[in-house]
Amino acid sequence: MNIDTFLQALANGVMLGFIYAAVALGLSLTLGVLGIVNMAHSALLILSSLLTWQLVNGFGLHPLLAFLVVIPAFLLIGAGVQRWLLRPIRRQPESSGLLLLFGLLIVVESLALAIWTTDPRTVRLEGISASISLGPITTTTNRLLAAAIGAVAALGLHLFLQRTMVGRATRAMADNSDAASALGIDTGRLSVLTFAIGVALAGLAGILIAMTFTFSPQEHVRWLAWAFLIVIVGGLGSVAATVTAGLAIGLTETFVGLLLPFQFVHLVIYALLATALIARGGGFMARSERRI
Amino acid sequence: MNADIVPAVSLEEVEAGYHDHDRVLQRVSLNARPHRLTAILGPNGSGKSTALRVLAGFVRPRSGFVRLGEREITDEPTHRRLELGLAFLPQGRSVFPSLSVQENLLLGAWHIRSDAVRVRSAMEAAFDRYPTLVSVRRRRAGSLSGGQQRLLEIARLLMTDPSILLIDEPSAGLSPKLADLAYAEIDRLRAEGRTIVLVDQNVRAAIDLADDVYILAFGRNESSGPREQYADLDRLVREWLSGGGARVSD
Repeated sequence: MNIDTFLQALANGVMLGFIYAAVALGLSLTLGVLGIVNMAHSALLILSSLLTWQLVNGFGLHPLLAFLVVIPAFLLIGAGVQRWLLRPIRRQPESSGLLLLFGLLIVVESLALAIWTTDPRTVRLEGISASISLGPITTTTNRLLAAAIGAVAALGLHLFLQRTMVGRATRAMADNSDAASALGIDTGRLSVLTFAIGVALAGLAGILIAMTFTFSPQEHVRWLAWAFLIVIVGGLGSVAATVTAGLAIGLTETFVGLLLPFQFVHLVIYALLATALIARGGGFMARSERRI
Repeated sequence: MNADIVPAVSLEEVEAGYHDHDRVLQRVSLNARPHRLTAILGPNGSGKSTALRVLAGFVRPRSGFVRLGEREITDEPTHRRLELGLAFLPQGRSVFPSLSVQENLLLGAWHIRSDAVRVRSAMEAAFDRYPTLVSVRRRRAGSLSGGQQRLLEIARLLMTDPSILLIDEPSAGLSPKLADLAYAEIDRLRAEGRTIVLVDQNVRAAIDLADDVYILAFGRNESSGPREQYADLDRLVREWLSGGGARVSD
């Protein structure tokens, strides 16, 4: 491998890694803070991609303006699901919530199939598809933008959790919900907010996917596997751990793809997953408490 | 007890439970005198922790009243009670282990968070009061020793300078030496003029510390009176055993 190929693969891997991290952020947040495995995460992800396709290809909206429509809508969807579906069953066994979210996955997927059929879709990227070069590295504006937006979202979530009072209260609730309530923190409202942010992050990642990949309604399960892979490799340590895991998998995929035939790439990544599970139940970077 | 003093906080004929049909508390009444330490004692399952949770607003009574001074607060949520000066330290370790010491303290000031000046002076007061926390302020609270964690919990509880403290099992899980430290701290809080309601399994330590004692059994008032009345500990424990204080869960 010469140095130019290496640098190109490095850049591709990093960009892919930030998109992967964005795909996993919402899942990691709801699992880490609320202990809820959002089975519907990837269905919502692809719903967002399809909405983006509709807005851009159907209504002629600029791809970057899709964020302004999709993210508020997904915040509302997330708040609604937590408030009206999950909260009423919060005292039931965890499997009830899992089933409920699996049901939501089916509903969202069926709805998407009914509206958009099974056809693969590609979003028209007018104005942001130009190719750009920096020395030996060549990429396209849309890929660079998607990666940058993923990185900014991760940084934003990190700063929210670490530097704001509401973010600290969220982490406190993850640590000890009873003690947080004793300090007057409204854990019910905070749970709604946390789930809403988790779903909004799925919405954001869906747009990033729409900006970089071809997708179809039934394809979302692949993204669910990817998101889980990143959460398991990174553990529920922090946003930084999720980003690191996303980058590790993005880079692994890119470099393995360079060295081995295509069909081996996923094999290697799942071997990495198995190693993570065996070596360290909580992921490579998890802290002992397994919390955001 | 002196009838003409308005209690700092009180329960009147409270019925409460966690599920539809259980009656953990049955017509329980309790008066905590201002600036005094009231201990609630009793065998396992007597409802003493539940009584404290009703005072804190974590459990709503089915009937009866909760009062703060002369004001009825039966339906006030936990955060409103905090604003009124009533703070609750739950049972067991309650620091937020993945947050720093400083962040734990900041969250103690949650309901006054919009008042930056007050939060800052409360933070300074906490570090003045517990200087051992200064050098570890950036460390994760989970990495502190058991005794330091207990001090941090109390420091966090004091961030809004509450006048009434509800404390559940302060010595649970601590070594005898650290338990003594916790009790000394509670004694100091009372000496500062705060009203304390203490629930404890450690009967001897609680009676040593208390001004007034309430004994609950099977979710009912068993007896109450000044500390001196409970000097004969052995007899008390014998009564619990013969009275069949054998229900296991609380």
